Amino acid sequence: MAEPVLVVIFLRGGCDSLFLLAPSADADYLAARPDGLRVLRDGDRPGLILPTALADVDFRLHPATAELHELFGAGDLSLIHATGLTDATRSHFDAEARIERGASAGDAGGWLARWLAHAAPGGPLPALAVGSGMPESLRGSRAAVAPSLDELMFLAGNGWAAALRARLGAGFGQHALTATAAEMFALSDMLGSRIWTEADGVTPYTPAVAYPEDSELSAPLMTVAQTIKQDLGLRIATVDYGGWDTHDDQAGQFDRLAGGLSRALMAFWRDLGPRQQDVSVVVQSEFGRRLRSNESGGTDHGRAGAMMVLGPQARGGRLLGRWPGLSNETLEEGADLAVTTDYRDVLAEVLAGHMGLTDIGAVFPGLAPAPLGLFG
Amino acid sequence: MLNRRDFLLSTLLASATAALGSRGAAAPADTTDLWLNRLTFGATPETRARFRALGAGAWLDEQLSLPARDEGLTARLAAARLHIAYPAGDEGETGSWQAVDEDRPLTLLDADPASLLRLIDWTVAMDYAERLRPAEEVIAASLIRAVHAPAQLREVMTQFWHDHFNVHSEKDEFVANFFPAYDAGLRDRALGNFRDLLGFVATSPAMLVYLTNDESRASPANENFARELLELHTLGAGVYLNDRVADWADVPGVAEGLAQGYIDEDVYEVARCFTGWTVGDGRWVAEGATTPKTGLFAYVEGWHDPYQKRVLGREFPSHRAPMADGEEVLDMLATHPATARFVCTKLARRLLVDDPAPDLVERLAAVFLGAEAAPDQIAQVIRALVTDAAFAAPPERLRRPFEFLAALLRATGAEVASREQGWVWNLGRAGWRQHSFPPPTGHPDRNRDWETGLVLLRLTELALYAQDEWFGLVPAGYATRLPPAARDVAAITRHWGKALTGAAPDLGALAAADIAPDWQPEGDDERHAVSALAVAMAALTPQFLYR
Repeated sequence: MAEPVLVVIFLRGGCDSLFLLAPSADADYLAARPDGLRVLRDGDRPGLILPTALADVDFRLHPATAELHELFGAGDLSLIHATGLTDATRSHFDAEARIERGASAGDAGGWLARWLAHAAPGGPLPALAVGSGMPESLRGSRAAVAPSLDELMFLAGNGWAAALRARLGAGFGQHALTATAAEMFALSDMLGSRIWTEADGVTPYTPAVAYPEDSELSAPLMTVAQTIKQDLGLRIATVDYGGWDTHDDQAGQFDRLAGGLSRALMAFWRDLGPRQQDVSVVVQSEFGRRLRSNESGGTDHGRAGAMMVLGPQARGGRLLGRWPGLSNETLEEGADLAVTTDYRDVLAEVLAGHMGLTDIGAVFPGLAPAPLGLFG
Repeated sequence: MLNRRDFLLSTLLASATAALGSRGAAAPADTTDLWLNRLTFGATPETRARFRALGAGAWLDEQLSLPARDEGLTARLAAARLHIAYPAGDEGETGSWQAVDEDRPLTLLDADPASLLRLIDWTVAMDYAERLRPAEEVIAASLIRAVHAPAQLREVMTQFWHDHFNVHSEKDEFVANFFPAYDAGLRDRALGNFRDLLGFVATSPAMLVYLTNDESRASPANENFARELLELHTLGAGVYLNDRVADWADVPGVAEGLAQGYIDEDVYEVARCFTGWTVGDGRWVAEGATTPKTGLFAYVEGWHDPYQKRVLGREFPSHRAPMADGEEVLDMLATHPATARFVCTKLARRLLVDDPAPDLVERLAAVFLGAEAAPDQIAQVIRALVTDAAFAAPPERLRRPFEFLAALLRATGAEVASREQGWVWNLGRAGWRQHSFPPPTGHPDRNRDWETGLVLLRLTELALYAQDEWFGLVPAGYATRLPPAARDVAAITRHWGKALTGAAPDLGALAAADIAPDWQPEGDDERHAVSALAVAMAALTPQFLYR
């Protein structure tokens, strides 16, 4: 088995976990939302029944997530409900920043950056933020940022490349771009020998299975799969999947988003083939959404959400976490699903169980880990 | 597309002779370039001359007084053509349409909003490109304005407010339709009064649809706009006290009559205040009632939550006049000290430095609050910043991709037509989505967010390709702007180097690449290609990249 890889998918905007992984028969749930914003138990598209109940609640997955249901049934996927920040924030950007920093104040950077600093993995490409910006979780690291590997190639085939390389290579004085340029050339040279030929230019990635064309998650996950298969020493990859801020007209949007997540994740998993054994995927969001829907056919910012962990090293096929219930007295501030599992407990357990981290304090200072049993 | 360059390279290598040594570092920039690169989309020979002729003070006065409308710019926009092409289509009952492949003028920038509503009418069949066309035209015009507008500071500030009050113009056909009016309104108010600007934004159909307030009604209200109004438009996340204060009555300042920060209860209450603030696009309101088809703001009394509210510790009585709840919220927010600090921090970050010193922010915030009723409040804050001793700091801000492209085009004297939007796509690959950034934060504005290899690669390509014919942005290539006296590689490199940085370039990199300085390119294609290299060599220096 090669070195373990962690892929973190962040559902930007606040995924409505009560519509993804729903207590479908709960009387408070039924009372708080119209049919279109609930996972139903009958009709044309009933929710997908989970074989394992948590606290005797009839949890069902959204009907658009058949692939997640299949992965759960196969014992590869774990679902954790009522997770989130222990700090009461309902701001996207505040919540995202806190989660991605791992509740660390000041300039300590992101939680994944701290893991990278601690584990100091070798290899040409230990960390990749798939997209065009560095997420806060990798802030402070020298992770590469790119939507696809070919976007990291320096003027491939251009006649002026040597002159401009000499210019950029001479640096930018005290500015940070000096180090950036050096890293950029190192990566470009390495990729030039892997995915580019003088005759044909960039060699397109050929996945082992077809990815869904209608999911925004497909292209980024293909980049991750390609990077893993290229054996570039990848240990950490981050992928953003936006659009979950469904304040209005939620039903159709959520169907498309959750279906896109489910199908793309399954394609990625199958594409990995034997490399599945090296990979663990964490899916998270900044918060869940309000139990009671609004008058615009949507839901507003809530508190606890759900997380997912995919990977054969974990003991999947289980619902984990403590379900707090949805009655008025159990809701946080009378409005939102309460946080009963610190999101850091999930991340810490994945780092320990999958990535081999023994010193949890190096990544989450001050955290007294309370493992949920993801790995045993 | 690279074949011509490959050919040229072989020509160059064949004629390569001895390497040439470095000519040494560029001369230090004086305050002319410091000001012009911060307060405009980039210094040019003409603006340098104007700045030196007027003197800094008079130049700033002129920039702060130039109106949003300019005859020359209007003529330039009228002459611009943006390509549109789509196949014929058929939607059955609603009709069909013919294929289109044409260079079309920017006819929608000043269109009456009511006339644009036909583009969101789904009973009329048309290609979706037509429905998004208003946004596409604004995007095309934005680069033409950035490069050619005489009122440069106003244009810089217009882009600033677009980021501050971010709207994703291509979120859907509704936002796209309302976007020309949004862009024009921000430009008109870019140097004006913040309360006026805030009121414009809060009643803009583009913002109301983007942050989904257009469907917000009692009850529960939709909190989307309310939260971002507090967090991103006015008070800032720095005074979001939700995890520190459990009870609204305990928020600091409440006892004195105005909370210093806000908690979720304020968000809920503000959301109630804005219920019924929607759009006049003929939408269904109730049985037999629709909003008027104006393309403008509309208020629906029946959707408003009329009961008493409490915002930032102040109590609002029940059953007030139409829009009175929302207007009072905007009054409170526009004059709140936290808003002054938040906006002034962002402004100083945009125009000066990543992390403005707290004392500078306090000085600017005092000007902001002191001028709260002035029609030129924002101009006063800018003047205070520019004349502050802190403004003498050396260049530190990296030009973000849009600013880099605009500065490049300005410095090289390019005439921008933006017939094709390839530049938009290329900026997108670097993380810059002109008027199409999805999250409401707007583009990030710290160097660390842009000092990546990915951005450096895309800037390198833009510097090299943006003025090629196939790029569809600049009709006349470099050769038409190159003085005949600039014959060999060294002279061409010096010419463009001086245009971009105001100083002679370092020729060492040419030598390192075995490009002969005395080689004389022949014909427009070769002179263009060598110019592209020269421009890129000068653009990818700290002198040009940082402002």
